Amino acid sequence: MLHFTVNWLAGTPSFAAPYALAALGLIVSERAGVLSLGAEGFMLVGALAGVATELELGGYPSIALLVAMLAAAVVSLLFAFLVVFLRVNQVIAGLAVVFFCHGLTSLVGTLGGWTNRAITGMHAVAIWPLSEMPIVGKILFTQDVVVYLTIPIFFLVNYVLTRSMLGLRLRSVGENPEAADASGVSVSLYRLGAVVAGSALIGLAGGYLSVVDVKLWVPGISGGRGWIAIALVIFARWQPWRALFGALLFGGIEALIPRIAAAGIQLPQYFLLMTPYLATIAVMVWAAVTKFGRSNEPAALGQPHIREERR
Amino acid sequence: MLNNTVSAATSAQAPLVKRTGHGWRLGRLNLELRQHMSPWLQALILACALVVGLGISAALLIAAGVKPSALFDEFIVENFSDPENLHSILFQAAPLIFVGVSAALAFRVRFWNLGIEGQMIWGGIGATAVSFYDIGPAATRIPLMMLFAALAGMAWIIVPLWLRVRWRVNEIIVTLLLNYVAFNFLLHLLYGAWLDPKDNFPHSPQFRAFERLPELGFGVSSALVLALIFTALSGWLVMFTRFGFYTKFVHDNDRMALAVGVPIGLVTLVSALLSGALSALAGFVIAAAQEGRLTQSYFEGYGFSGILIAFLARNNPIAAMVVAILVAVLFVSGRSLQVFYQIPFAMVQLIQAIIVISVAASEFLMRHRVHWVR
Amino acid sequence: MVAALKLVGVRKSFDGFVALDDAEFEARAGEVHALLGENGAGKSSLMNVAAGLYTPEAGRIFVNGEEVVLSGPRDATACRIGMVHQEFKLVRPFTVVENVLLANWRGRFAPGVREIERQIEKQAAELGFEIDPGSRIDELSIAERQRVEIIKVLLAGARILILDEPTAVLTDEEAVRLLTTVRALAAGGAAVVLVTHKLGEVTAFTDRVTVMRNGRAVALLDSRATDAAELTRLAVGTAVASPRRASSPPGEPRITVKSLQAARADGHVTVNDVSFYVRAGEIYGIAGVGGNGQTELVEALTGVRGPLAGSIEIEGAGNATGASPERLRDLGIACIPADRFGYGIAGGLSVVDNFCVGHINEGTYGSWLRTNGAAMREATAEAVGEFDVQGVRALRQRAALLSGGNAQKLIIAREFSRNPKVIVAHSPSRGLDVRACAAVHERLLKARAGGAAILLISDDLDEVLNLSDRIGVMTRGRIAAEFEAPADRQAVGRVMVHHA
Repeated sequence: MLHFTVNWLAGTPSFAAPYALAALGLIVSERAGVLSLGAEGFMLVGALAGVATELELGGYPSIALLVAMLAAAVVSLLFAFLVVFLRVNQVIAGLAVVFFCHGLTSLVGTLGGWTNRAITGMHAVAIWPLSEMPIVGKILFTQDVVVYLTIPIFFLVNYVLTRSMLGLRLRSVGENPEAADASGVSVSLYRLGAVVAGSALIGLAGGYLSVVDVKLWVPGISGGRGWIAIALVIFARWQPWRALFGALLFGGIEALIPRIAAAGIQLPQYFLLMTPYLATIAVMVWAAVTKFGRSNEPAALGQPHIREERR
Repeated sequence: MLNNTVSAATSAQAPLVKRTGHGWRLGRLNLELRQHMSPWLQALILACALVVGLGISAALLIAAGVKPSALFDEFIVENFSDPENLHSILFQAAPLIFVGVSAALAFRVRFWNLGIEGQMIWGGIGATAVSFYDIGPAATRIPLMMLFAALAGMAWIIVPLWLRVRWRVNEIIVTLLLNYVAFNFLLHLLYGAWLDPKDNFPHSPQFRAFERLPELGFGVSSALVLALIFTALSGWLVMFTRFGFYTKFVHDNDRMALAVGVPIGLVTLVSALLSGALSALAGFVIAAAQEGRLTQSYFEGYGFSGILIAFLARNNPIAAMVVAILVAVLFVSGRSLQVFYQIPFAMVQLIQAIIVISVAASEFLMRHRVHWVR
Repeated sequence: MVAALKLVGVRKSFDGFVALDDAEFEARAGEVHALLGENGAGKSSLMNVAAGLYTPEAGRIFVNGEEVVLSGPRDATACRIGMVHQEFKLVRPFTVVENVLLANWRGRFAPGVREIERQIEKQAAELGFEIDPGSRIDELSIAERQRVEIIKVLLAGARILILDEPTAVLTDEEAVRLLTTVRALAAGGAAVVLVTHKLGEVTAFTDRVTVMRNGRAVALLDSRATDAAELTRLAVGTAVASPRRASSPPGEPRITVKSLQAARADGHVTVNDVSFYVRAGEIYGIAGVGGNGQTELVEALTGVRGPLAGSIEIEGAGNATGASPERLRDLGIACIPADRFGYGIAGGLSVVDNFCVGHINEGTYGSWLRTNGAAMREATAEAVGEFDVQGVRALRQRAALLSGGNAQKLIIAREFSRNPKVIVAHSPSRGLDVRACAAVHERLLKARAGGAAILLISDDLDEVLNLSDRIGVMTRGRIAAEFEAPADRQAVGRVMVHHA
């Protein structure tokens, strides 16, 4: 039983990382007022780019992850252009971008011959001698580099958001773009930057999924995690640390599913696979019902900004 | 007494006056909301956007290895000359019409029903249940299948609707997630209780002859006729009834609608239920007319297609019918490309997304006036 | 003497609608210069041009004699122009310090916060304000928020200060305090522009006044050398008689509200314990500055949001508390909402649709299965004529194209043509020019003569005093006092302040 639990907890961060990074990227974008429904698409782009890079270079997973971030950021420029400059409805644009990325990655994956080919990927790195500690050593100090980096990334993003001028301006754009504009902040530029930066993180999440977790690419590999991340952000009330907690929760659920079957417990397989999605819905309902804390939803989330709007 | 201390403190830092530039000065774009635009100009812009979208798609296809002459052949010539192809298009149009009208009815009241695929799955399950459990006499079998399918679809959409009404949970994410739940349940059935014992494949046993939708001659399937009937009924509902009148207000300004006495709750409920039922019937139609049994992936691609159709048709059921037929052309051509040129079917989804993006981007010109200002 | 700010030949239109037509303006350092005009004259638009928010199609701007080109608010700030808008440009969840820091960048964040805090306290002390720099904006009252806006602008180094209708949201006493502060600022060397439509302020607190009408400046006068009558004549053009209220004995109470308690959407209780009644054939006016629960009261009376406690009784129908909007409308309640285009009109739909939705459920235009388009168009055409809704080129056109005044007339047409028993009018003349205003008042009085019970809620004290038979003063979610007409303005004003 103990062995099972330790094993399960040790496996959790690896499943939690994509949720955490994607949620963080979404928080950056949504605090600036842009609802990024395209997250699922950016994850796919990052996933394909990561695998393709590793296949073409014959290794170097770190570079693959950087390329994943870059690719997602580039594709997000399309989305950013649509919603920030052309003021397209953010729901429609987000959905269209998801299916655009879905079709594009399937197509490019097939044409480039990268579909369904295994890669070596990235493996866990033990921090010796801490990893030799009983129980805690396996759980906390035997993870891969990205998981280790996730905590500092969260610290960094949270610091920038709450304790820097950049973060102040970004948040003002998401709460009251008219006020930001009158204060001389360029609303369009900050929204563009937020979307691109956020999408880079989402791309990293996707790259992590394909390069580290699954170690190959198939069309649709993200399996709805982008949508779950969006729900997570609402549940987390747009606060980074709460999002990390939610990500760990979902990572735990995902890590549990294969281990239950392996432990010989007989539960209907497909019902187990439903759990992450049902859990997400449950979490959304809970967040809507309890309204704990103040509602921190950025007041201008989803609304385009035009300076000379009359009436 | 107010004095100049503050201004003295800050005078050092701010430049006092901005001079007009001599020489080169970068202008900037100035945006303004338009109040009014003639319908002709709107139609023109929409047509241009479609042309641009199709053009980009064609360019992508050529880059993927399809020869330009072959493109023209596939998309235009073949589809209108070959009766086989025409038959395929009409056949493919039936489920697309159902999902298009379904999406249109939901989006009209701003209920973002993205669970079309999940409802299709449940529609197929409902219809198959009637076949599997041999419910009812043979003559009523098809109507029963339709009824069960519609009820299943409505039950599945009630969940996100209720969550939205009761607790204001956003239905976009919920309907999307429920698609995955429905899919897993389908697999559970197909790999489990409903596995075909004849060949041990993950599909249900075949429907009996009287459980299949018949061909009506001249290449027209009864599925298409059903689709047209439901389209006509939906069109009537939306354009000529008081219900349709109310949906206009729910769409344009729901706070005002509430204050003025429009029964928003009822309108949203009925629209969502109809939407769920129609998507489920799309699933029924594919199972009963095309596949002849319940299969694993019959619903793939219909979710976004429904969104695309409703978006281009501006949520009008009759226009949705027309757009659905065009999308059917796209589907059929896409299949040919897959067979003859090894272009994956995902290309169709990409082309659809490009068209939606192109049209959505063009609305910028319809809504705003742009000046270049120095 | 060189003008601190000078605007010449400014032209600005919005998709065909000409807001500024060759407008001119000039303000000197050390003076308080009023920019007077009725609603829609172009005052705010002209000042938005000066503040860099609107880009004019033609015109030139001079600051201290040098021509400048403003491509955005930052340029205006660099020219020492600062504007306090009608709708405050404040980020609600941020603190005072964060808001001021946003507009007045001081290097890095943490040291910036400390320095701005110091500067805020200093500036507030000089002005005689009391501000806690660490408090969140949404915890402050409207008057306090306005002070934050002023400090924000002064700390940016503004020597040309523009205030857009600053007293619209203040009680009489707060308004006097503000205007006194403004005079002091001018005495310190700043040029202050006071955009207003209140004649009393012009003559009492300003040095010169520019009168605007239809997008042009029509007069520039010395404030002390003119009077209310001349200013009205210049601003409006012709004299518009305000409708007279005929005395008539009221009937039985049509609507009785007892101990009503209501909250906003976020749960904040704004109506605490409101009780009043309105009789048939009378206008009961609720006076009070906005934000004291008026909106939530209207929502409770029209069924948009059920009250938390208390009761609403309607003559002949009994208890109507918490009934749906459809039910309340069936019982004869009609509403003219404050937010015309938000709650009164569906902008994207046609004039016909907007008129007919009011009583389509009575079956006048066909059954559920088939609506009678021709009957709808006919009825709308008749109503448009009877209620003088102008600017309707075609009945099919979108209602958003109507001007504010005509949209209001359409709403009145829709609501009044049902011969309602109770009318709730919330700020019915806000944003309307004098003529439209008079038309609205006339309709209300006509309905009163016809026996309707009218509840008039408005932050325009003059409107309430002129039209009401009885007046209730609403502060902090309660009716603090009631008066019979004719009421003493000072007495009413005292109640508003006393309980604020």
